[in-house]
This record gives sequence, structure tokens and C-alpha cells, in this order.
Amino acid sequence: MGAGTRALHRATEMGAVVLAQQREYTAEDRERFEAMVSEHLDGLFGASLRLTRNRSRAEDLLQETFLRAWRSFHTFRPGTNVRAWLYRILMNAYIDGYRKSEREPEVVDQEDVDEFYLYSKVHESEDYRRAGNPEEVLLNNLMDADVKGALQSLPETFRNVVILADIEGFSYKEIAEILGIPIGTVMSRLHRGRRQLQVKLWEYARRAHYVGTEPRPGGTESTP
Amino acid sequence: MTEIDCEQVLERVWSYLDGEITEEAYREIQAHVAECEGCGTRYDFQRRLFELVERKCKEGPIPSELKERLFRLLEG
Repeated sequence: MGAGTRALHRATEMGAVVLAQQREYTAEDRERFEAMVSEHLDGLFGASLRLTRNRSRAEDLLQETFLRAWRSFHTFRPGTNVRAWLYRILMNAYIDGYRKSEREPEVVDQEDVDEFYLYSKVHESEDYRRAGNPEEVLLNNLMDADVKGALQSLPETFRNVVILADIEGFSYKEIAEILGIPIGTVMSRLHRGRRQLQVKLWEYARRAHYVGTEPRPGGTESTP
Repeated sequence: MTEIDCEQVLERVWSYLDGEITEEAYREIQAHVAECEGCGTRYDFQRRLFELVERKCKEGPIPSELKERLFRLLEG
């Protein structure tokens, strides 16, 4: 889907908003909407937090998403994918108004980075090898803040796709529909995002000197 | 069944773990990974890394107060 189609995609949704403002919903509509949306609010709230990285901005984004969904509820076709429909509204609301304005992080040069970058790095590391079971040590000691920090360090176009695939669990096809981009673009952004995530995780792991020290407070488990 | 080599198996790790390959390819890779220790430990590491990222980045449920506030918006 090109930029033109994407713009149309959004314009249609905004058009639906205008129409819905003149539209009267019944109490029965409201009940149906509440029942349909309710089970997805936990997921949408989590995704809002990860996208905005800020509690009050996340609440605003969720509220905007909720209202847009309600206004265009009459355009939702029963039997189609509710969750993907809601996430498309969320991503459009985020892109329209809540995107962080700060400078985008740089894309890491990934020429020598493959799917097994992190695995190779721990196995090449003298310190980790001395520890006996390098990947176990690494996985047990990475902290919440390391993983969240690595995710947040990704350029936004990569991060959005990684969030949708690896945390929200959407398929490539669903992500393509949610973001209005071709499946090939989803795959390329996802793969580049995951590679860059591994580069960042290795930076944290190396800096923290996990090996030969006591497990850091807040690590998941103690190392053997 | 056609034999696939380690290189072909390793380069498809993400498609495999994402469930984005054909049933036939899935079974071929599954059989290879079960027998090949080098590929097996690499696949296992990737799977655990995915689980770790998902677990560490999950956020708690929506606060009930916020949920109530959203539903009240529909009443006006």
C-alpha cells in the first residue's frame, strides 16, 4: 500500500468520524460496543504505554482511540478481526497526534548482524564462556529495564512493528493491515528491528559485567 | 522429503518461530532441529529470547478507574 492509499485509509476513517458525529447510536449499540471492546482494553492500554512511554500520554492516547472506535463503530463489519481493527485505530491516533517529537535514534549499521548476533556474541566472549553456560547467564541477568530500554532505543518505524509482532502477537498479514504497509515491508522492518534490538541488548549485557559478579537486584533468577 | 541444510534452517528461524511458513517447511525444520545440536541450541536460544522480550515488556492490566472513565464517555 503506497502513501496515497495510506492517506486515503486515514481520510476514510476521519470521514467516518464526521459521519458518526451526526449519527445517533442506541443503548443497544452501546452495549454491543462495550462488550466488543472491553476484552481488548488491557492490550490497548499496554500498547499505548509502550508507544508513548509515558503514563499520562498513554491514557490520552487510549481515550482518543476509544472515542474514535466508538464514532466509527457503525463501519465495523461483524465477523472481521476486532483486535486488528482496534489496533489500526490506535496506530493511526498515535501517528496523528502522539508521536514523540524528539529526534529519531540512529539506525545501527547492521552489516555484520544476523539473526544469531546475541548468541554468537555471548559465545565469543571470554567472560561469558568462563561462566560455563553463557546463554543461560545472559538470559537470567537481563533486567526489565535493559529490555525495555533496548526496545525504546529502536527507530520508531522498527519499534512499532516489533511491538505489534513480538509483544502483541500479531501475524505479518495483520500488521500489514494495521499499519497500511505491504507484508514485505513488515518483514524487513521486523527483521531489522530485531537485529538492532540484539545489538542493544548486547551493549547492556557487556556494560553491566554480569559475569563473575553477583546477580543484579531485579534480575529474574539467580545464576547457578 | 527433501533434506535441508543447517544454513537454510538457520536463516528461517524467525519465520519458523513466527509461524509464518508452510506446514511442510515447518515439519522439515522441526525434524532437522531435533537431530542437529548446533541448530537446536540456536533455535532454543531464539525462542527463549522472544519469551524474555515479551515477558519483560508486558504491562499490567488497565486500571479499573481508567476503564470506568472510558465507558462513562459513552453516556453523554
